[in-house]
Amino acid sequence: MVLLLGLIGLIAVFAAVRSLLPARSIPAGIAVGAIATVLVALNLRELVSLEFWSWIIGFVAIMSAVMVVIHPNPMVSVLFLIMNLFCIALFFLILNAQFLAVIQVIIYAGAIMVLFVFVVMLLNIRLEEGLRIGGGPMRSGAIALGAVFAALMFHAIRNRGEAPYFDPGGYDAGFGTAREIGRLLFTRYQFAFESASILLIAAMIGAVVLAKRRLR
Amino acid sequence: MRVEFFLLIGALLFTIGCVGVLVRRNAIVILMCIELMLNAVNLTFVAFAHEGQSMAGHIFVFFVMTVAAAEAAVGLAIVIALFRRRRTTDVEDASLMRW
Repeated sequence: MVLLLGLIGLIAVFAAVRSLLPARSIPAGIAVGAIATVLVALNLRELVSLEFWSWIIGFVAIMSAVMVVIHPNPMVSVLFLIMNLFCIALFFLILNAQFLAVIQVIIYAGAIMVLFVFVVMLLNIRLEEGLRIGGGPMRSGAIALGAVFAALMFHAIRNRGEAPYFDPGGYDAGFGTAREIGRLLFTRYQFAFESASILLIAAMIGAVVLAKRRLR
Repeated sequence: MRVEFFLLIGALLFTIGCVGVLVRRNAIVILMCIELMLNAVNLTFVAFAHEGQSMAGHIFVFFVMTVAAAEAAVGLAIVIALFRRRRTTDVEDASLMRW
């Protein structure tokens, strides 16, 4: 029974993903294969669990980040970055930060990314030719340093001492709400809050001066 | 679901963004990769705030978003100024201060 339902879900997901992605591109194949593997490996009961969806969201976030880096067209990069920001907003929701999730969608995906889209369309940039991957010794050095960095990161995350488990029920009611964030901003972090306004003014004036027709 | 999962995702996203900054030629895409890195740090902040049940991480994410907005505005203005002078957004062409 579970196997049959899983098969039906697999076919539905396959059809949906297939129609969404461009036909027969390599990322489409990878995505469909990964989703199919996950669906076959798990049974249907897992589909309602938070953990399963976290893995799916994480996979989508990583894939869209990779696409931001490797896609030659800046416009497509912006759209994949917006997808990545939505995934991170979902993670914020999972991690009990409702207000930050909303802010992430409105400010990041809504305002900052529109600025990027605007500039990309304004400058009408042609496709990029090739990545800036250096020569032999530079590249091997970079790979070695990257491996060291990855090992350090893995070590740091693995041996973090006491790590409590994820427990959605263990928080006071105000955790992550706009009310609590506002209270903290206007009491304990008042100075930083006011400094942020000065920073924004400075950035605004700087942007206006830089984008003027003639620099003096 | 342990917090390590989110830390690993954050580390991966940060690494991908870092590689993008080093590898791409287009200044706008480099700015986007910086946004990617800032977002990875935000995710790590929120994960730690969730683990420690303290809201200080949320406040930090708030300020990181402010700085990201300022950085995007100024960075894109610089890209526009560069494009106006050189007719390109390739960082290889803006090499006046390069040693």
